Amino acid sequence: MSEGGRANSAGARDMETAPSRIDANPEDRVLRALAETFPKGVSDGEKVRPGLIRARVDRAELYSACRTLRDSLGFEHISMISAVEYDNRFEVVYHISSYGSRLVIELIASTPKDDPSVDSVSSIWGGANWQEREAYDLMGIVFKNHPKLERILLPKDVMYHPLRKDFKG
Amino acid sequence: MAEMWINMGPQHPMTHGLWNLRVKVDGETIVDAVPEVGYLHRGIEKLCEGKTYTQVIPITDRLCYGSSMTWSHLYCTTVEDLMDLEVPERARYIRVVAIEMQRIASHLMWLAAYAGDLGMSVGFTYTMRDREVFVDLLQALTGARLTYNYPRIGGVAHDLPPNFERDTMRALKYMEMRLQEYEDLFEGSKIFMMRNVGIGILRSDDAVNLGITGPSLRASGVSYDLRKDRPYEAYEDMDFKVATHKDGDCYARYRVRMDEMWESCKIIRQAIQKMPSGKWRVVAPRNGPVGTGFGRVEDPRGEGTMYVVGDGSDKPYRLKIRSPIFVTVSAAPTILVGYKVADVVAIMGGLDMCIGENDR
Repeated sequence: MSEGGRANSAGARDMETAPSRIDANPEDRVLRALAETFPKGVSDGEKVRPGLIRARVDRAELYSACRTLRDSLGFEHISMISAVEYDNRFEVVYHISSYGSRLVIELIASTPKDDPSVDSVSSIWGGANWQEREAYDLMGIVFKNHPKLERILLPKDVMYHPLRKDFKG
Repeated sequence: MAEMWINMGPQHPMTHGLWNLRVKVDGETIVDAVPEVGYLHRGIEKLCEGKTYTQVIPITDRLCYGSSMTWSHLYCTTVEDLMDLEVPERARYIRVVAIEMQRIASHLMWLAAYAGDLGMSVGFTYTMRDREVFVDLLQALTGARLTYNYPRIGGVAHDLPPNFERDTMRALKYMEMRLQEYEDLFEGSKIFMMRNVGIGILRSDDAVNLGITGPSLRASGVSYDLRKDRPYEAYEDMDFKVATHKDGDCYARYRVRMDEMWESCKIIRQAIQKMPSGKWRVVAPRNGPVGTGFGRVEDPRGEGTMYVVGDGSDKPYRLKIRSPIFVTVSAAPTILVGYKVADVVAIMGGLDMCIGENDR
């Protein structure tokens, strides 16, 4: 009786330390899959809070990382594309969510000030089309291979990108 | 037959706001469509960068005149995420009551416009009259009828007014009676059904890929509601169903919104009954930290998200607003092609356009 009890508790301890238990948590599973597929392209993966993870992606590997996210990891919905200007760089922030695992990944791609461009992901998610046009219109980020990169909220003849910090109304 | 372009808008009864839908027709059949937006762009994201965190709340109210409470609530949750603030339990319940009332009022306003579009003036007058019940309750709660300025960073502006629970329960009882009557009225109308059933079918894989959210997504058979799947505020304690429909046509979108109003009545009743006592607000610091905050709520029109970047000062460095209808309207060509010009009114009306949040 007592021997059996010992064996059970030892078995439970083995289960907790077994490598497969690391991936019981969906956030860690996605981060590990990304880090293994893109050892150089994806960095600084972290779990921000339950349901939200964050990672930085090299802009050269952004398109293939996004394709992996949709095709193998189940991130089928692009929630939001934001462009942020910092002193030395632009950041394009993608919030991509998964209907199956209910996660959101915050994917951050940096681009230099003198060449603000990233690959377009609108061929992966149709919902990215207008959001990329908006980021181009207001912040001046060029999305390469976008089907129709035109201004959307401002008139076509406007010469400036108003959300940049050097634009003073 | 020769193909030609028709401009529906910017001044057209179908648009409900300032935007332009260019449709290319072959005879009566739509072969292409191009939505054009931006007529109402006020530069709200830029405007917010010059205001303090608290001063932004009334601006976010102006994003959508139909559901201003959900937008200021979304902004407050986003900044709370940035500042890492814990909202008191009572404030969470008060917020649930307020945003569910706003959801009913918003859906009723949609139903009024939709009924008017489809030639049922009686539907317009009935729903606008019953919306007054909830607008009056929100006026008692907040002091305003359209742009409320009620949520605060760290809670809500003030506690419930006297007799609010009693008045709410009465209003809910009345509303459930009226909802039954609307269903009989609308679904008993042959014209309304003919213009809805089988029109504007949106397949679920298209809806997911094009980023459509909210009632329009759930009407295509995808059960995704942030109140259920990633509960915020006090939705975890509420017992309600996610309204879905499998057909994906205009009738399904109408049906989902009607079911959502029934569920909202249930949620408000539970929130009032379970409401704990205590504080309704904590004081937020004036300056935000350096970092980012991300908020996501289920707006009446879909998934509303905000992303705020703080630089340590008392003003947001950058505030990005994701409007659900901005993405939904970009999918309009997919839904419209193949239907007749007369169906445009039903299809675009059924998506619940709000240009204020669309153009920002």
